[in-house]
Amino acid sequence: MDAPTKTTSDAVDLQAEFTASGLADVFDELDRDLVGLVPVKLRLREIAALLLVDRARARFGLSAISPTLHMSFTGNPGTGKTTVALRMAEILHRLGYVRKGHLVTVTRDDLVGQYIGHTAPKTKEILKKAMGGVLFIDEAYYLYRPENERDYGQEAIEILLQVMENQRDDLVVILAGYGDRMERFFTANPGFRSRVAHHIDFPDYSERELYAIGGRILDGMNYTLSPEAEEALTRYIAIRAKQPHFANGRSIRNALDRARLRQANRLFASGRPVTVEDLTTIAAEDILASRVFSGGIDSYPPIRTESAA
Amino acid sequence: MRITQGAFSFLPDLTDEQIAKQIQYCIDKGWAVNIEFTDDPHPRNTYWEMWGMPMFDVKDAAGVLFELNECRKTYGGRNYIRVTAFDSTHTWESVRLSFITDRPAEEPGFALDRQEVDGRNVRYTTRSYAAMSRPEGARY
Amino acid sequence: MTTTALETKTAEKKRDRYSAGVMEYRKMGYWQPDYEPKDTDVIALFRVTPQDGVDPIEASAAVAGESSTATWTVVWTDRLTACDKYRAKCYRVDPVPNTPGSWFAYIAYDLDLFENGSIANLSASIIGNVFGFKPLKALRLEDMRLPVAYVKTFDGPATGIVVERERLDKFGRPLLGATVKPKLGLSGRNYGRVVYEALKGGLDFTKDDENINSQPFMHWRERFLYCMEAVNKAQAATGEVKGTYLNVTAGTMEDMYERAEFAKQLGSNIIMIDLVIGYTAIQSMSKWARRNDMILHLHRAGHSTYTRQKSHGVSFRVITKWMRLAGVDHIHAGTVVGKLEGDPYTTKGYYDLCREDFVPQNLAHGIFFDQPWASTRKLMPVASGGIHAGQMHQLIDLLGEDVVLQFGGGTIGHPMGIQAGAQANRVALEAMIFARNEGRDILSEGPEILKAAARHCMPLKQALDTWKDVTFNYTSTDTPDFVPQVTAAE
Repeated sequence: MDAPTKTTSDAVDLQAEFTASGLADVFDELDRDLVGLVPVKLRLREIAALLLVDRARARFGLSAISPTLHMSFTGNPGTGKTTVALRMAEILHRLGYVRKGHLVTVTRDDLVGQYIGHTAPKTKEILKKAMGGVLFIDEAYYLYRPENERDYGQEAIEILLQVMENQRDDLVVILAGYGDRMERFFTANPGFRSRVAHHIDFPDYSERELYAIGGRILDGMNYTLSPEAEEALTRYIAIRAKQPHFANGRSIRNALDRARLRQANRLFASGRPVTVEDLTTIAAEDILASRVFSGGIDSYPPIRTESAA
Repeated sequence: MRITQGAFSFLPDLTDEQIAKQIQYCIDKGWAVNIEFTDDPHPRNTYWEMWGMPMFDVKDAAGVLFELNECRKTYGGRNYIRVTAFDSTHTWESVRLSFITDRPAEEPGFALDRQEVDGRNVRYTTRSYAAMSRPEGARY
Repeated sequence: MTTTALETKTAEKKRDRYSAGVMEYRKMGYWQPDYEPKDTDVIALFRVTPQDGVDPIEASAAVAGESSTATWTVVWTDRLTACDKYRAKCYRVDPVPNTPGSWFAYIAYDLDLFENGSIANLSASIIGNVFGFKPLKALRLEDMRLPVAYVKTFDGPATGIVVERERLDKFGRPLLGATVKPKLGLSGRNYGRVVYEALKGGLDFTKDDENINSQPFMHWRERFLYCMEAVNKAQAATGEVKGTYLNVTAGTMEDMYERAEFAKQLGSNIIMIDLVIGYTAIQSMSKWARRNDMILHLHRAGHSTYTRQKSHGVSFRVITKWMRLAGVDHIHAGTVVGKLEGDPYTTKGYYDLCREDFVPQNLAHGIFFDQPWASTRKLMPVASGGIHAGQMHQLIDLLGEDVVLQFGGGTIGHPMGIQAGAQANRVALEAMIFARNEGRDILSEGPEILKAAARHCMPLKQALDTWKDVTFNYTSTDTPDFVPQVTAAE
């Protein structure tokens, strides 16, 4: 970032800074790309404003230490945590808080080794890759397994904490996962709680928002719903959202993928030439064939464990 | 004496900030950066010990500096440490930049042995003073 | 037309073509405007200046003929051969921009016209006879496209840039050298002193000059012995690999081999030869260098007699290509800013031909054809002649980092002595590369960067003061014919 010159340094125009940093574009994009998430977007703006002000203060010598920027993102799967983390990396980059602005997404397996002496190099490897950007640790609580006292996760935690404390200029860590489990994780590892400055909670989507997400997904792939199919999708969402293993936006995408599969089968089986309209239209039957409507859970491949957020 | 291997030995010792900029130059070129150290800086001692493996996917110099500092914790002040950048581009596939970041507190240098052989011929042998009397690891 | 009628007609044509007597070259098959060169053809581009009244196409066809199968009259023995294949084919003749009376002739040669791996054969064909041909006022070989099929029959540089750097353990910056001065008259003992001082001060290489061979004032063995003492002593003093180009040029191959063997025995990592020893001798020395892990430096002594004038001779870009095939590791390729001939764009063309694996056509740099090198090792260009530390930013900007910068006078002429001169050059070089890597614009900030570096290096300060205003601003004679529009305002 450019240092201010003497002549203009008696006042800082925050709006102008906001525009100059290109943050407006980032937020526009965020609004465009992500349905709903009003509280999350609000928090993001607050954080951006805080950082802008911090930066302005630093110019007048009002704050000397670099701010703690590590964060936690809590919420159910499919609520947009990774997408927002990507934007967050960009926001931090534009404000000059990280040098490169890339996002490295990992889970326990990327950090913790299989045998003694394996964990430290693995964790360091990831930390090195993330430096200059943002490290996003999904389901961070899996790092901590108190039931196994020899668990190598503890080693990863110690290295993480050290780097989070000593190299705040070099990288920002975002810890993510289900809200209740994150809370237990922070209680058991107060070192993390004290190093995380911003907590953002991601609410589940309403049925209306989920429908809107479906619409965007289809738009993006050049499909439309017939009027009957629209009605079917609304009903599908109402039922699916109350079932276990519901993953918000991701479940909607999966449901639509399966609908496309059925549509393709239907067109192929019809044996008649197809028009552009045929090719782009999802019919009600493509959705109604789902097991959801007969009391089953709509998931393929069959569910093994809880999928990652 | 001051050994002058590497690209920047004629400049004053580099600060971490300067080292970071040179490393970032290498990373931005797509080269993998490695940290190496030795207590025998003989001009023909090609293979300094590797501090871990070359860092292939690091985006920011801070990642390399992190390892450099780890290496310094163990070998700083007792060994030479250098940063070496590898370019995998076809028809190069070798080192592109190499420079010394750390030196031992004292640099004893080298002895030149001359063996007079047939006629006026001389066979020359350069030997590191550091490596003459003591084994690897106990030299500085 | 029936088959028989067609055959009769072709037979008649053949009879016309081969009736005894004199015939225009263009009618003998040496002018084929529809010919599309094959990927395996060698292509030559000539600048043809016909005598007044001679048709440019006929003149160009004559060049094709005289550089391949033709003689001045029709010979029936052609018909014992697949002569259509062996005939060189001129397929395009363009007027030279802004030069009335001169023409660019493109001529394609079948691969079978040339012996594998022989510059002597290639050059005997292409420039053997034709340059004295009377109907031409002047003729210049501007460029050649060497097909991969032919390139692969040569071993190329014995060492190449990458392996040279690996052997020297020097990466990421130009290498520094100096030619020992005075060129002539120093005794072996005094000569070695210059080598030691320069290498210890910070140079990577010192160099014999082209005419240092074995003269009354210093026989070659004396020079080799004292130089190697200097090299080894400087190596121990700095911990760096050092070298000195021992010139093995001599009157016979036997003498050259003897000198090269002695250099090897003494542990030298590099020897040198002069261009005047001839292409075959160069290729022989390259073979020797390859067998003996030796870097082979070529001094382009004599080249300006035929490369400098634009109207007649052989362009240096062709010599560069031949030398990369012939297998030398270093070649003097111009400095642009120094005392010797060198237009910046033309010189850039030479450097690309030395160092790139594929050189695309670039008329503004004088490169007429795409030239694939098919992984032939890279040839290290050497910039030498009238350059000094104060030009470091320009040199690095123009020439890049894979180059040997030779500051002969700029080292030995330093007011505080040779070591000081060498140190000044090395500090200037490292400071400039360092600044470039940090992202600074060295071309515009160069003088400041040098000044800052001089603050911790008195010898550099003295060098900058001594040579601050020395430049050689003369117009180049060998310039590209095609000027990029954007540079017009320069």
